[in-house]
Amino acid sequence: MTSSIVAPIEVRGLTKHFAAGTGVLRSRSRVHAVDDVTFALRPGTITALVGESGSGKSTVARLLARLYDPTAGTVLFEGTDVSRERRRSDVLRYRAQVQMIFQDPFGSLNPVKTIRHHLLRPLRIHKTVPSERIDARLRELLETVGLIPPDKYLEKYPHQLSGGQRQRVAIARALAAEPSVLVADEPTSMLDVSIRIGILNLMLELKERERLAFLYVTHDLASARYVADTVLVMYAGQIVEQGPAEAVLQDPLHPYTQLLLASVPDPAAGVRERIEVRKGLASAAVDPPEGCRFVGRCPLRIDVCSELTPELVAARPGHSARCHVTAPSPAIREDNHVESTHSAVPD
Amino acid sequence: MSQLQPIVEQEVAPLSVIAPRRRGRLRIPGWLSLLLSNPKSRFGLTLVGFMVFVALIAPWISVNNPTEFNLLAARQAPSWHHLFGTTDQGSDIFSQVALGTRRSLILGAAAALLATTLAATLGILAAYCGGVVDEIINFLTSVFLVIPTIPLLIVISGYLSNRGMLTMILVLGLTLWAFEARILRGQALSLRNRDFVQAAKTAGESTWRIVFGELMPNMISRIAAAFVLVFYIALLVDAGLEFLGLGDTSHVSWGMVLYWAQTNSTVLQGEWWPFLFPGLALVITVVGLVFLLAGIDEVSNPRLRQSR
Amino acid sequence: MTAAVQESQPSMELGRETLVELRGLRVAYGDVVAVDGVDLAIGAGEILGLAGESGCGKTTVANALMQILRPPAHVVDGAILFRGDDLTTKGLEELRRYRWRNVSMVFQSAMNALNPVMRVGDQFVDMMRAHERISKRAALDRAAELLDLVGIDRRRVRGYPHELSGGMRQRVIIAMALALQPELVIMDEPTTALDVVVQREILQQIRDLQSELGFAVLFITHDLSLLFEFAHRIAIMYAGELVEEAPAERLQHGARHPYTLGLISSFPSLTAPRERMTGIPGSPPDLAAPPAGCRFHPRCPHCSPADAPLYALQTSVRPVLRDVAPGHRVACHLVEQRG
Repeated sequence: MTSSIVAPIEVRGLTKHFAAGTGVLRSRSRVHAVDDVTFALRPGTITALVGESGSGKSTVARLLARLYDPTAGTVLFEGTDVSRERRRSDVLRYRAQVQMIFQDPFGSLNPVKTIRHHLLRPLRIHKTVPSERIDARLRELLETVGLIPPDKYLEKYPHQLSGGQRQRVAIARALAAEPSVLVADEPTSMLDVSIRIGILNLMLELKERERLAFLYVTHDLASARYVADTVLVMYAGQIVEQGPAEAVLQDPLHPYTQLLLASVPDPAAGVRERIEVRKGLASAAVDPPEGCRFVGRCPLRIDVCSELTPELVAARPGHSARCHVTAPSPAIREDNHVESTHSAVPD
Repeated sequence: MSQLQPIVEQEVAPLSVIAPRRRGRLRIPGWLSLLLSNPKSRFGLTLVGFMVFVALIAPWISVNNPTEFNLLAARQAPSWHHLFGTTDQGSDIFSQVALGTRRSLILGAAAALLATTLAATLGILAAYCGGVVDEIINFLTSVFLVIPTIPLLIVISGYLSNRGMLTMILVLGLTLWAFEARILRGQALSLRNRDFVQAAKTAGESTWRIVFGELMPNMISRIAAAFVLVFYIALLVDAGLEFLGLGDTSHVSWGMVLYWAQTNSTVLQGEWWPFLFPGLALVITVVGLVFLLAGIDEVSNPRLRQSR
Repeated sequence: MTAAVQESQPSMELGRETLVELRGLRVAYGDVVAVDGVDLAIGAGEILGLAGESGCGKTTVANALMQILRPPAHVVDGAILFRGDDLTTKGLEELRRYRWRNVSMVFQSAMNALNPVMRVGDQFVDMMRAHERISKRAALDRAAELLDLVGIDRRRVRGYPHELSGGMRQRVIIAMALALQPELVIMDEPTTALDVVVQREILQQIRDLQSELGFAVLFITHDLSLLFEFAHRIAIMYAGELVEEAPAERLQHGARHPYTLGLISSFPSLTAPRERMTGIPGSPPDLAAPPAGCRFHPRCPHCSPADAPLYALQTSVRPVLRDVAPGHRVACHLVEQRG
């Protein structure tokens, strides 16, 4: 994969703030749901966006799907900034390329419409195939997602399908527009455990065959490891670590990633260390002060951590973290005589 | 005690997609079968159905000119010849009530249709679009809500020289849409953030398509309830106006019979039939609609449906 | 080779006295049987994990144990024994005393079970005074102690639930479940709605409390990997039946039932070598019309018409739980055949 290929989607400095409180009581405080998020999605790759609830990962997904408008930052689509486009034809062109799969398989389908309707609409809206080919295309889509024989499913209503089948329909609907990017917001968390792998395998297949770029939003690190090529870790609205999946998950830089990994149940890991209980929220801060947002829970903190917000620094090739201690910027490193790669040792 | 039982959310099929069922040898739509199985709506449907039947056969069971004066036959109590008796002018009350049924049902349905269409369209649009559109529509709704219906209708009716059925329908429809608009807006608000609406948006659907194609079909039961509600309110208001003599004088209606009964002081003369029969017709229709509404409410709520 | 194997009895870690025993429990919702003949035993002080997916009946088992089944759910058959006493024969008043004192429960939606307009302490008081004679003062003191026990600042007694985070609310619910010192605490997916870090904190807490206070735990979840770490013994349910039961470590490395193996292969690991996993094709059956014979057979990789005699068994005869090793029982025709 050469870097001269323009990534279909790239976000730079993506930021979304919401007003804290609602209605008349709307204060001037802002909830920093997403702050300065930068990444690119490459064709034929799955990028996992990992974080706990409130970390901002779902907001990033919705920003990418243009369900929200960003407060600041740019969304580059094949090199052009699309974040301020308003014309319906432009928005439609974007929507044809960037599709979304939602968390709740039942909620994302219209209960009073057939499966046929769900798949037909995107075909009609984006005019991807001539009308003679529509019936054949409907069947093709269902077969691609493993719903075989397709005729069995076309006239059914959502409540007649199982959770896994509904999610496959949702994927088929997303594929109908022939997108190059698929944003999947926790697509398996509401499915039975034994069904999840099927959906994850489908994603891997689609990535290979159709060369799609996936953004896989999840709180489940194990599934992120299973499918992802790249992992982005989010905390309180910011990306705190990013890099190749194996590197981030086997040899993490950021103390928060280390905390996550220490918390995930993994029977194969043998006897586990107890984790330290420190108070602190992993969700977006209201009017956060300058400084690292993880400082309240961090075992590695040094003075500068409460004073200066760390930047994302590549402590290893292709693997960066937002931490003054484990991935300090050159200026900080000099000031604090800290080694550039540092594995966390709790207090 | 704060210990709650675990609530298991059951997924229940929405009304409009319930499969048709066989009832005896007939194949009837799922929703109709459901309404017939609920005792309240069954009762309501029977009453309303009966009145619809009467309205349909009215021209055949009535005399040719129901407002004809026939002083020879005046003031007769109910008999085989005049089932409901005659008025002071000798008109056959049975025919008047039968034809009045036809008129009332048409008027009620039309007014309800107008009001419900306005309420659903504006309410859902306001909920989905939010922002400026929502503010404008809310303002409009508030204005119409504040206007007192009956005094307004009296004023308008008194002012207009042409008081045909169309005018009545328009007036009723335009004054009765506002409160249902509020309610439907509320329901649409709760649906708006459901994933399937967001999914339609990302698929590229236009606003109008989402309002009519995604949101409205999921609100059928509430819209049906709104329709029935406006229907019987329209009936009552119309009867009231007619009774006051402010109604449509060209057609025969229940209220008109009551008006003449009142003007001719029939009760004082011991003639009960000009009041009883039109009143009964009105009561039967309204009660039928009220029970139908109650049945729709019960049947629409999945929880109530399940625990039968 | 099929020796004359006895139908297996519910097993338990040696040395523990039996606290709860389910014998042939059958529970139905109207006409649909949700729990179809389950034999299970829980020993004093042990953590028994009950795992399965949606529709397997695990929550129904919990509700039956707690005697909180609501119509149309009702016990069709079988016995629920607590220290030898059959609960299905008890009257309402006795059951009321039984609940919360002998057995208490932590629900999945526990966070919503706290009354938002009552102070935390008052909710404890309410609950305690419903079950024993205790003054409000004493109850509040006990509430503060319990909050301490679960790692929450005592002063929160005077606060309201909305002031607490999700994880803290869950801990309050656990504290309430422990208030009357029950011998068994049933936890139905207690950490599913929580983030992974909070989940680990809570589970560490539960394990500490359990070893300190010695209560037994029936831990119900779909997350088998959690159970491998925390449970002493694990039982697997599928479509209303118990299909396998073994000590945790034995189940992790030596599971025999194809469903259990399929379930284990549905959890990708963070540390083991990366490989393609298969999960289990298909979906759990409709309990109104479950498959004949072995309920798992439509999804089982070992069920095919090619092996005719076995196939005939699998599609017509319900397998029975049999011991394959001490404390390890499996309900599977294939396992029975292969020994």
